[in-house]
Parts: sequence; C-alpha cells; structure tokens
Amino acid sequence: MKLIESLNIKEKAYIEKLENGLTVIIVPKQNTSKKYIIWGTHFGSLDNRFMMPKTGEEVFIPDGVAHFLEHKMFEQENGTNSLDTLMALGIDANAYTTNDHTAYLFECTNHFYEGLDELMDYVQHPYFTDENVEKEKGIIGQEIKMYDDDPGWQLYMNAMDCMYQKNPIKIDIAGTVESISEITPDVLYKCYNTFYHPSNMVMVVCGDFVPEKLIEEIKKRIVKKESQGEIKRIYPEKETNINKPYKEVEMEVSSPIFIVGYKDTENLKENREQIIKKHIAIEILLNMIMGKSSKPYQELYESGDLLAQPDLDYEFSDEYAHILISGQSKNPQKIQEKIKETVKKYVENGLDEDHFNRIKKKIYGDYVVEYNSVGDIARMFLSDKIKQINSFDYIEEYNEVTKEYTEQILKNVFKEENMILSVVKCK
Amino acid sequence: MNYHKQEIKEGINLHTIDTRNFKTNLYAVFIATPLKRENVTLDALLTAVLRRGTKNMTSQEMISQKLEEMYGASFDCGIEKTGDNHIIKFYLEAISEEFLPEKEELAQKCLDILFEIIFNPLIENDGFKKEYVEGEKQNLKQIIEAKIDNKARYALDRCIEEMFKNESYGLYKYGYVEDLNTITEKSLYEYYKQLIAGCKIDIFCSGIVENNKIEDLVKTNDKIEKLSARKAQYVVNNEKTEKVEVEETKTVEDHMQVNQGKLVIGLSVNSQKENARYTASVYNAILGGGANSKLFQNVREKEGLAYTAGANYVRQKNTIFVRCGIEIENYEKAMKTIKEQLEDMQKGNFDEKDIENAKNLIIESVKSIPSEQDTEITYYYGQELSDRFMTLEEYIKNIENQSKEEIVDLANKVQMNTIYFLRD
Repeated sequence: MKLIESLNIKEKAYIEKLENGLTVIIVPKQNTSKKYIIWGTHFGSLDNRFMMPKTGEEVFIPDGVAHFLEHKMFEQENGTNSLDTLMALGIDANAYTTNDHTAYLFECTNHFYEGLDELMDYVQHPYFTDENVEKEKGIIGQEIKMYDDDPGWQLYMNAMDCMYQKNPIKIDIAGTVESISEITPDVLYKCYNTFYHPSNMVMVVCGDFVPEKLIEEIKKRIVKKESQGEIKRIYPEKETNINKPYKEVEMEVSSPIFIVGYKDTENLKENREQIIKKHIAIEILLNMIMGKSSKPYQELYESGDLLAQPDLDYEFSDEYAHILISGQSKNPQKIQEKIKETVKKYVENGLDEDHFNRIKKKIYGDYVVEYNSVGDIARMFLSDKIKQINSFDYIEEYNEVTKEYTEQILKNVFKEENMILSVVKCK
Repeated sequence: MNYHKQEIKEGINLHTIDTRNFKTNLYAVFIATPLKRENVTLDALLTAVLRRGTKNMTSQEMISQKLEEMYGASFDCGIEKTGDNHIIKFYLEAISEEFLPEKEELAQKCLDILFEIIFNPLIENDGFKKEYVEGEKQNLKQIIEAKIDNKARYALDRCIEEMFKNESYGLYKYGYVEDLNTITEKSLYEYYKQLIAGCKIDIFCSGIVENNKIEDLVKTNDKIEKLSARKAQYVVNNEKTEKVEVEETKTVEDHMQVNQGKLVIGLSVNSQKENARYTASVYNAILGGGANSKLFQNVREKEGLAYTAGANYVRQKNTIFVRCGIEIENYEKAMKTIKEQLEDMQKGNFDEKDIENAKNLIIESVKSIPSEQDTEITYYYGQELSDRFMTLEEYIKNIENQSKEEIVDLANKVQMNTIYFLRD
C-alpha cells in the first residue's frame, strides 16, 4: 500500500491498486464513530459514445443511461432492493450520477461489514429485465419533471448551452422523458459490462479503520472478472469559441437569477501537472473579484443589486472547463459589467499584494474545512481521483501559487470573448 | 461526557463541547424569544442589520477582511423557528489552532468578533445606521418574496401556515413585507435594546477547547460583562402537549406554474402519554422515514406515483408532515394510497421487522449527531430549551423501548389536520 500524507493538517491516505485493477483509497480517522464508503465508476453523462474494449464495437447510447443504470443497480434478482436492505440495518445509503462518474455509497456507525457485503454484492451483480426497466421510466420521469421546475438547474443547463455547441456537458444528467424511453436492458448491460469493470472504478473509505485489515475484507468480497483493455471514449472535437453570449428564460421566480461564466479554452490534457496550481489561482481570483471583502461585491451589495455573495466555481475535466459566478440579482447585466470592469482593471494594474495574500490565507482555510466530515473527505478523494488528482496536493501546492502566476492565469482564462450570461427572469 | 454547561449570569449560559472530530472550532450565540407576529419581521431585519457593521468594524468589508485574515474564518447568522420560539443564530467557524501553517491565537479573536457583532452595533443618532437599515429592508423584502422559489419548501410552509392559522407556529420566520414599512432605524434600535436586555442567551463553543480558557475568555469579555442578569423570556418546550382535536380536515389548494404537483399533509398527533414523542418518532419512521417506509414503498416503488415520498416529524409541535411530489392528475390516486398507509398503521399492519428498521434508522441518526459540529450544538440547544435534559444515550434508550402496542395506540390518535396541494 502506498502512503500519502499531509503534515499540515495531520491526515494520511493509503492507496492500493488491486490485482483486478480496482483502486482503493483508505483515509483512516481515529476516534470518529462514523464510517463512510463510496464506490465510483468513471462513467457519467459525458460518456455517450465509446468502443467496447472486448469487441471493439462502437456504441452510441441514449441520454441519461449512466443515471438510469444507477437507479437500476439496487434491484436484485431475488426480488429485494439493496437500498431497503441497507436502510433496514440503519445504514444511510445512496447513489448519485455526475457528468464524469457514478457513485454508490453508504455511511453508518454500526454494521459496517454487513453493509460492505451488500454494497459489494449489488454493485457487482446487475439485474435488468424488460419489466423492471419499464417501471423505472415512470420514477425517473418524475425526477426529470422535478428538475424542470428547478430554476437553478435550468439556469445551469442554459449556461452550458451558452458555452458549448456540441459538448456532452450540455446533456441533462437524467436525460429527457423521450431519451430514456429508448433505454433497454441490453443497453444497460452493455454499459455495465464496459464501465463497471474494476479497472475503471475507485473505492474510497473513510473512518476509524486499520487499513491492512480493511483491504483484506474488501478483497474477500471481490467477484473475479477477466481483465479488460482501456475504454476508448469518443467525444466531439474541442470547440474554441463559445456558442452564444446570452440566454434567458422566464420561470416562476421572485427575482432573476444569473450565471456569469467564462469558458476556459486552455487545453487541460496538456497541462495536467499544472491543474491544481491553476485551480487554486482561479479560486483566489474569483474571491478577489466577487468575494465578500472585494470592492465590486460591496458596491453591488450596497446598491441593492446583490443580496448575498455569488457562488464561485471552477468546473473542469479533460473535456470541458469553465468558471461560474452565480447568484440572484434584479440586474444581471450590471453584475456582468462589473465583473468585466474588475478583470480589466486587475489585468491592467496587477493584483494588490495585501489583498492577494489575505485571500490566499482564506483559501487555505477553505481547503482545511473540507476535512471536517468523513463523507466530504471520501467524496472529494473519489471525484479528484477520477480526474487523476491527489486531493492532498491542494494543501501541499498552496504555497507554490504566487501573485505573478495568478496574474498570468487571469490573463489566460478571464477573457472577455469567452464570457457568457445565463438568466432566469421572473414571469 | 464531552458536553459542559455553566451559567455566566442568570439567563446567560456557556456550553462547551470538547471534540476532536473536526478541523474547526465552531462558536455560536443563540438568542431566544417567544414567537410573535409583531416581532418576527423585527428579528429577521435585526439579524441582517447587525452583520452590516459594528462600532469598531463599521462595514461588512472590514468584517470580511478580518475574517479572511483569520484563515477564512466564516461568520454566518440566521433565524429559525424552534417550537414556539424565534431563535436568532450567530455562528463563527475557524480552523483549530493546531492545523494552521503558522502558530496564531484564534480563539480569542473569534469570540471577540462574534460578541462585537452581536453586542456592540454601529449606532448613529440613537438608531442603527439608516443606510444599513434601509438596504436590509429591501433585501429582506426580496427574501420574503423568494419563498415561492423552492416549490417543495413553499408547499410545506403554506401547509404549516394553514394548519397553524392564528397560532404563533404558523408565522413565517422571515416575517411579512407589510410589517417592514413601519420599521425605522430608531424603532429597530429600541427593539434591539429591549430584546438584548431580556432574552435568553446561550453561547456554544465546540472543537478542541479548554473549558477553563474558554470560560475565562467569555467571562472577561467586556461586552459580556456589560450584559445584566435576566429572567429570560422564552417558551419552554414541554414534552406534553395540549390536545388539538380535529373536527374536519381542512383542504387547501394553490395554483402556480409547476410541472409537478406538491402534496403536503399535516397530521396532528394527539397523544398526551409520557414518552409519546418517542412513539411518534418511530411511527413516523415506519410511515415515511426512509426507503423501507410505507410511503416510499407504496407511493413510489409500488405505484410509481412519485419520486419523493416521505414524512417528517416536528417534535416540538407533535406534528407529522407527509410530503410527495406527484403528477398532478395522480392526486386522487396518491391520496388514496396515502390514506391506505395511515389505516394500515392504525390496524397494526406492520411487523416487528418494520419496527426494528425504523428504530435502527432513528438510532443511527442520533449516533451520527457528534459527527456534525452544528448538529451537535443544535441537539444540546434543543435540550436547553426543553423542560428536561436528555443525553444521547437516554434518547436512544427511549426509542428502543417503544412497543408495537404503543405505536398502534398512537396511530389511532393521529388525525389528518390539513391537506395542501400546490398545482398548476
């Protein structure tokens, strides 16, 4: 087992790649009663076209399959539902799908190994029939409708539409009522057999464990599978321009909500070793532009254009990267202008040293807070690992980020021509 | 026990929770006052105005800069309804000193800032700063109007409002737009002085804390020294509740542009038995607590009528809310299925395994309380507002002790009080 460590925050992680290719990460936490396990596959809504490693067959799948598969994994051949089985033990179990991974998880204080039995059993034993697939379409149809009524989700999807023309990030994770109607057991099995191979999966466990003992328990529960080559995922070509600068819709909201975005067109694959530094620099910049103590935010707050600090995010993978500044305002255009103005000023005059250092301290604190809960730790290690990132590096590389480097990132990423605005207006 | 309480002055208590589960220390001050129509809007506005600036840090910008310097300590405040009390909550979270890259004293700074914001506001001409009050009135107006944005939450709030019409619990925690207009910077300050002089104040510190040191820091703080002892006004959360006989179920329908209908049913639990609240918790978990519950299994899994289907129990008001998001045309079907589940509960159509599952679910959540810092604080504050203190272990024991007989007996005292449906 490989040990990685962060001395500043006094945390360790053990990493092992099992014979069958499964990556296991264990983050021991002494004295905590809660245990958390998450098992993820690198399969999300982005992966809608790929070659099956064994046959070389190219497969196109309807939108929403990864998410549909997540729902269906719980159903067992003997008629039981694993979610019920886990809940009956008092174990809080769940699953979710993102654009690049699907994860199955549970947390508990008791009965961990019984839970592990069930988790590792159901994830390794799919059971799809015409009947159970049909029934699920009704439930997921309701879930899709719930999102149709969610202004925040519509706002986000429209921001993606502004930034990208063909990129699969534009696909709704749950698909549409039409697209899921095409899903059959055959499609589900194809995807399962391709993406739920251990070599495409990562398991993270956090809690009061002896790593050596836990890894043996995990190995015991592994179902043998033939090894499989790399999955070739086919994505549309990179687009360098935005799709459209502005999109608005009307919904029943009390006050308009907005996302100001910047599409980051730098090539991520070629800059992998830089990605953490870049991520930290962007978070510092976002806080300097729209953080609580920033002048632009204060002015917009005092003029009543902002009610609260906007959310500041940088989302990225090999296929997309963008910045999102989202909030509520009766005057979204004014917010966009203010951001534009501020970036211009920072580019021209450089960043203020004191302000930069103060925000850097704040960012350090933000990273440390992530280690407050076993669930946050496990989810972070999983989603970072899917992106081939070691989570501790955010704390280790924090000191490497200089003002000069950050100024360079500002120029490379915050480009006016890559800026978009998505708005949900009041009806 | 890692929890320790002591009185600073009459009506003002310090609670410390010594825990190494977190990288942060969390400091909180809770102010409790009885929930009243004439005060809700004032409380909400006051919270917003206080965080705008203090005597020594006159703007939000200054406060934010201070916090950023402290490795991004975060300040937050909010307002909650807890039973018939209105609670104003202030939080400050900062990294524990041992995880800082360089040695620094943070505990004192945290307490100083927190007390400064609450007890040393910026005053001009015998009132709060006019500009701040006017700005926050506008903001609060928008917050109140924003209650329609989250449809599921809105449906629940509306059901509560209808079910507790003319009672304090029916009030909206952020208050009312029509009450905002009459508030001035002077009247708000008058209210503030009166509130601070008579309210119940509880100070919490959770994390890697040394009791003596924290006690010392709190007691010697000049703002705390200035506060006088008080017979605190608040509503004690009594384990027994007055009987609310429902003569007729009230039905309310609202129309809004929604794709999915939101159904909320308020159930009154009319049992005055000792420990009825624990029975109700178990009853609620069997009915709608999780994936094994009757509602989830029947409304969602068997009938495929909903994506969300469940129930939650509001202990302080002895009320259960059944909540489902359904296809609008399926209203009758969903109502029929829900009623069947309630009848099943009355007839005792559930077995020992269901009871066991339900208890496991509750016990697990109680055991998880110490793994979330604010949840642990909220638990102990709940005990503080209650007429008797209960440890987590005692709480678990009480859940374990519930029998099928008691659950069925309680099921027959559950009445449908209000049916609320939000539709297109």
